Amino acid sequence: MKLRISTVALTLVAALTASTSLAQEKKALAFVVNGASDFWKLAEAGVKKAQGELPNYDLQFKYPEQAAAAVQQRLMDDLVAAGVSAIMVSAVDPKSSTDALNRIGGQVPLFTTDSDAPDTNRIAYIGSSNTDAGKQAGEIALKALPDGGKCIGFVGLPGADNARERIEGMKSVIAGSKVELIDVRGDDIDMTRAKRNVEDALAANPDIDCMVGFYSYNPPRIYEVLKESGKLGQVTVVAFDEDPITLGGVREGTIAGTVVQDPYEWGYQGMKLMAKYLEGDKSVVPANELIIVPTKMIDKSNVDAFEAELKDRISG
Amino acid sequence: MPIPFLEMTGISKSFPGVRALDDVSLSVGPGEVIGLVGENGAGKSTLMKILGGVVAPSAGVIVLDGEPMTGLTVARSMAGGIAFVHQELNLFENLTVGANIFIGREPLRGGLLRFVDDRELNRRAQPLLTQLGADFDAATPLSALSLAQRQLVEIAKALSLKARLVIMDEPTSTLTSSETERLLATISRLKADGVSVILITHRLAEIGHAADRVVVLRDGRCVARLDRGEIHAETMIRHMIGRDLKTVYRAPAGPPGDAILELAAVRTAYRPDQTVDLDLRRGEIVGLAGLVGSGRTELARTVFGLDAPLSGEIRVDGRPLPPASPAATIAHGLYLVPEDRKRCGLVLDFPIRSNITLANLGESARRGIIDTAAEDRQARIQRERLDIRAPAMTVRAGSLSGGNQQKVVLAKWLSMRPRVLIFDEPTRGIDVGAKNEIYRLMRELSDQGVGILMISSDMEEIIGVSDRVAVMHEGRIAGLLQRGALSEQAIMSLAVGRLAA
Amino acid sequence: MIGRKDLGLLILILVVGTVVAIINPRFLSPINLSNTANLIGLFGIFAVAQAFVIISGGIELSVGSIIALLGVIFVDLVSSGALAPGMAVVLVLVLGCMIGMAHGLLVAKMGLQPFVVTLCGLLIYRGIARYYTEDATAGFPFGASFPVLEWLTAGRFYGVPHSLIAFLAITLVMGLVLHRSVFGRYLFAVGKNEEAARYSGINTGRVVIAAYVICCGLTAVAAIFIAMYTRSISPSSHGNFYELYAIAAAVLGGCSLRGGEGSILGVVLGTVLLQVLQNLVNLLGIPSSLNFAVMGSVILLGVIADRQFSKRKTG
Repeated sequence: MKLRISTVALTLVAALTASTSLAQEKKALAFVVNGASDFWKLAEAGVKKAQGELPNYDLQFKYPEQAAAAVQQRLMDDLVAAGVSAIMVSAVDPKSSTDALNRIGGQVPLFTTDSDAPDTNRIAYIGSSNTDAGKQAGEIALKALPDGGKCIGFVGLPGADNARERIEGMKSVIAGSKVELIDVRGDDIDMTRAKRNVEDALAANPDIDCMVGFYSYNPPRIYEVLKESGKLGQVTVVAFDEDPITLGGVREGTIAGTVVQDPYEWGYQGMKLMAKYLEGDKSVVPANELIIVPTKMIDKSNVDAFEAELKDRISG
Repeated sequence: MPIPFLEMTGISKSFPGVRALDDVSLSVGPGEVIGLVGENGAGKSTLMKILGGVVAPSAGVIVLDGEPMTGLTVARSMAGGIAFVHQELNLFENLTVGANIFIGREPLRGGLLRFVDDRELNRRAQPLLTQLGADFDAATPLSALSLAQRQLVEIAKALSLKARLVIMDEPTSTLTSSETERLLATISRLKADGVSVILITHRLAEIGHAADRVVVLRDGRCVARLDRGEIHAETMIRHMIGRDLKTVYRAPAGPPGDAILELAAVRTAYRPDQTVDLDLRRGEIVGLAGLVGSGRTELARTVFGLDAPLSGEIRVDGRPLPPASPAATIAHGLYLVPEDRKRCGLVLDFPIRSNITLANLGESARRGIIDTAAEDRQARIQRERLDIRAPAMTVRAGSLSGGNQQKVVLAKWLSMRPRVLIFDEPTRGIDVGAKNEIYRLMRELSDQGVGILMISSDMEEIIGVSDRVAVMHEGRIAGLLQRGALSEQAIMSLAVGRLAA
Repeated sequence: MIGRKDLGLLILILVVGTVVAIINPRFLSPINLSNTANLIGLFGIFAVAQAFVIISGGIELSVGSIIALLGVIFVDLVSSGALAPGMAVVLVLVLGCMIGMAHGLLVAKMGLQPFVVTLCGLLIYRGIARYYTEDATAGFPFGASFPVLEWLTAGRFYGVPHSLIAFLAITLVMGLVLHRSVFGRYLFAVGKNEEAARYSGINTGRVVIAAYVICCGLTAVAAIFIAMYTRSISPSSHGNFYELYAIAAAVLGGCSLRGGEGSILGVVLGTVLLQVLQNLVNLLGIPSSLNFAVMGSVILLGVIADRQFSKRKTG
C-alpha cells in the first residue's frame, strides 16, 4: 500500500515538473490578487487581452486560497521559486508586509496594484487613486444634495487603507458644504452584518438624507433595505464599484451615482508595462512611480454604455 | 497493645438533620491493622474524612503523637503520616509507575529548566515497590497494570510520603481471590514494617484474616470493639445490623421449569478459541463464578447483544436472538444489570424517574411524545415495589446510596416483565441490609418463573444465593455444580482450571 | 417551567435592553424591533440546530460553510431559473440532511471525533462553495423578483418578520421534540452517558445520526432564509464564524459542551441576547470594530455570573 502511494506521488511530481518546465520556455508574468472577488474577474479579462498581444509571455492570474497576508506571501514565494520573471500584486496588508514585499522585490521586479506599498522596493504602482475616487463620490453627493444633508457610510473594514482614503477623499470635497458624513459603520465583510448595519442606521437615524456604500457589496445592501422599507428614492445613495444591483439602481435613478475603478485596464496595462520593463524599457515608469488609471463617475446618463463595455470585456 | 500514636476521642459530627457520628473513639498504634466495618451510612467514611482533615468534627479531640490537633487540615494530616488508598484510584494512566508515585514531587535536574530526573525518580520508587512485593518495576507504564497492581502503586505512593497509617477504603471490592490474598499479604508486610492500616471492607472474611482489632460502627455509634480472638463474620454481622442473619440461601418455591435461556457453542471476541454452552431454566438462579478475566462479563455483554458473538446461537424461550442488538434482546425479555452501575447502569444526572423509564419509554409515550403522567405512574409503581428510599422521584440518581442506585437499575427492568435477568456483580459496594433485599428480590423473581444468571466474585454470595453454579475458566465453562455440591473449594478448583472432583 | 438559568438570561436581556433603551429610545422603535426580530429569526434557526448536536455530546463546526455552500447553490439555481424556487428549497433541504447524515455516520459508526469531522466539513464545504461559483459572488440580478419566495422568507406580517415566525414555529416543534419526545429523552441520555443508554437498549448510533441530520437540515433552512436576506453571497466570506454564533448562543443558553444539558428556551434567549448586543453596538454608535469584543465580554460575564450563582446555591 505504502509503496503504491509513493509511486503515485513520484509520477505526480514528475508530471508537475514536466509541465512547469514546459511553461518555463516563455517568460512568466504573474498577477497576484488579494482574495477572491468578482472585481478581479475584470482584471483577469484585461490580463487575457494582454496575453493576446504578448505571445512571448506566459501570463498567470493567481488567487490566494485565503485573503490572508501569510497565504499570499507563500503564494508569491512559490511563484518566485517556480521562476516567474515579474509579479504584480494587490497586497493583502501592504503596511505590515514591507519586509516580505522587499524580499520578493529583491528577487524579481515587483509591481503593486489596487493598494500601493510605497515604502518597499516595488518598481511602480498601477491602479486607482482611492483618494480621487472618494473625491468623485463627494462630487456626486454634492450634486445630488444641493441643499445639504446628513450621510452615513458603510464599509467592510473601516481601518483599511482603501476605505480610509476613500472616506478622507469624500470628506475633503464635502468639507465646508452643508453635506456631512456623520458616521461610517464597518461590517468585517459579512453581508448579513452589512445589511443589518443599514437597517440599524435607518432605525437610529430615520431622518438620514444620504447613504454611501464604500465597498462594492455595500450599495446593494443599502438598495435592498431602502426598497424593503419603502424609502427608495427618498434617501440619496452614493455608491462605489459596479455590482449589478448598483448599476440597476443607477439606471433606475434610485442611486445617484457610482464611482468605478478600471481593473480591466490594470490587468491589461499592468501586464504590458511589466513586459516592456523586462525588455529593458525603463521609461515606462514615471518619476513618481505612480501610474494612475482614473476612476469614473457613472450616473444615469452613461450607465448603459458602461454596462455594455463591462459585458463586452468579461465575455471577450 | 502497642502505645498508640493516634487517638481520636469522643468524635461527633452532625450534618443538618443527620447525626453522622456520635461519640466515637478510635486509637491506632504502630503496626496495627484495624478493621472498620459497618453498613453503608454507618459513619465509616465520615470518620475517615475527619481523620484526613477533609471534614471538621463537631465535637471530640484528635491527638497525634501526644499533640492535640485542633482544626486538622488535609496538609497537616498528610504531614502526620496519614495516607488514603481510595476505592477509586487517583492515578494517571498515561504515566509510568514511578511518575505516579512522585506526581507533584518529581526529582528535578537541569536547574531552571526543571527537567524531570527520571532515573532518580525510578531509583527512589523501586525500593518502595520491592518493599510491597510488587512484580513490576517503576518504569512500567501504569496502563499495563491490573487493578490490583495499581492499588500497590497507590500504596507505594502513600509509603513515599512516609505514611505511618494507610487507610484502605474497600480495597478488595474489585479484586479476584488471588489478588485479594496478595493484598492481604501486602498488609502484613506493612504491619511488619511498623506501618498501621485501617481496613474498611464489606468482605468480612478478609477482616478475619488481616485485622488485629475490629471496630464496628452502626448509625454513627461505635457498637463493638472486637479483639483478635473475637473476630468472626457472624459476630460482626450481628453487631453491624443489630440482629443475627438467617441463612442467606432461600430455597426456590418449586422445581425449575424448561430452559429459557440457551447458549449453544457461543464464541465471544474476548476468547475466540473457546465456546460456551449453558442452559438456564425458568425459576432458577444460576451463579456464574470465576476469576476476574475468565470472560464472564464479556459473555454477559455478548448475550445481551452489546458485542456480536463470533459464532453460535443464543435462544430465549427457544427463539434465537439476532446478534448484537440490545434492543432486540430487550424485546425478547432478556435484561442485564451491569457490573458498573455508575457508568453503564444509570444516567447519574437524570432524575430517578427518567432512569426507571429509560428502557421502557414507549410504554408511556404516544406517537413519540412522552405522557409525563403515565411515566410518573410507571416509575412510582416500581419505586414502591422496590422500596427505593429517596426524597422525591426528581432527585438525581447519582445522589442515592449504592443500594438504592442498584434498585433503580432493577426498577428499570422490572417494569418490563423480565423472562431472563443477568446480574453482573449485583451487590458490589452495597451494604448488608440492601444486599439482603436484593437477594430476596432475586428469589421472588425466580419464583415467578424468571431465569436468573448471577455473575459474582463474592464467594459467600455465589454459595448463598445460587441454585446451581457454573464456573468459568479462561473463557469456557469449566464445570457445573449442583446446589448440594457447592463449596468454596469446589468452585475455586474449577475456577483455577483444575477438573471438578 | 422556566429554569433558573433561563430566568437569569432573561433578566440579563431585560437589563441590557433597558439600558440601551434609556440611552437611545429608538431601540424600542417598531422598525428597529422588527429588524432585530428578523435577525433573531435568521440566527436562531441554526442556533437551535446546533443545540441538538451539542446536547448529543458533539459539536458542529461546519455551520457557516454549510450556509455558504447551500446558499450559493440555492441562489444560483433560483436566479438562473434552473429550478423552480420550491424545488430548489426541497433540494437544498435534502442536501442539508445528507450532509448531516454523512457527519452522523462518520461520528457514530466510524467513531471519529465530532470536532475533527465537522472541522473537515468546514473546510470542504467552503472550498466547494468557492469552486462552485469560481469565487464569484452569487446573487440575484437587478430587479429579479420571486414574489412568493420573497414573501415567505423575507416578508413581514404587520411588521413581524416571517423569519421570526418560522423560527418560533421551528422552536416550538423542536422544543417538543427535545423536551417531550422519546427521541429527546434518548438524546439527553446519550449525551450524558452513552454507555448507560446502550445498556438500556437505546440505539445510540441512530440517535447521534438523527441529531446531526436535524442540525444540518435546520441549518439548510437557515441558509435559505439568510440567502434571501442578503440576496447575494460571496462564497469566501458568507457565513464565516456563524458556527461560533450558534455555539455561543447554545452555551449562553445553558448547553454544556460535555453534552446532555441544555434547553431550547435557553438557546432562544441566548440568540436574542447576541442579536441585541449587535444592535446595541450600532445604536449606541460604538465603533463597529468593537462588535466582537462586546459580544465576547458579555458572554464571558454571563457564564461567570451563572457559575458564581450556581456555586452559591449548591455550596
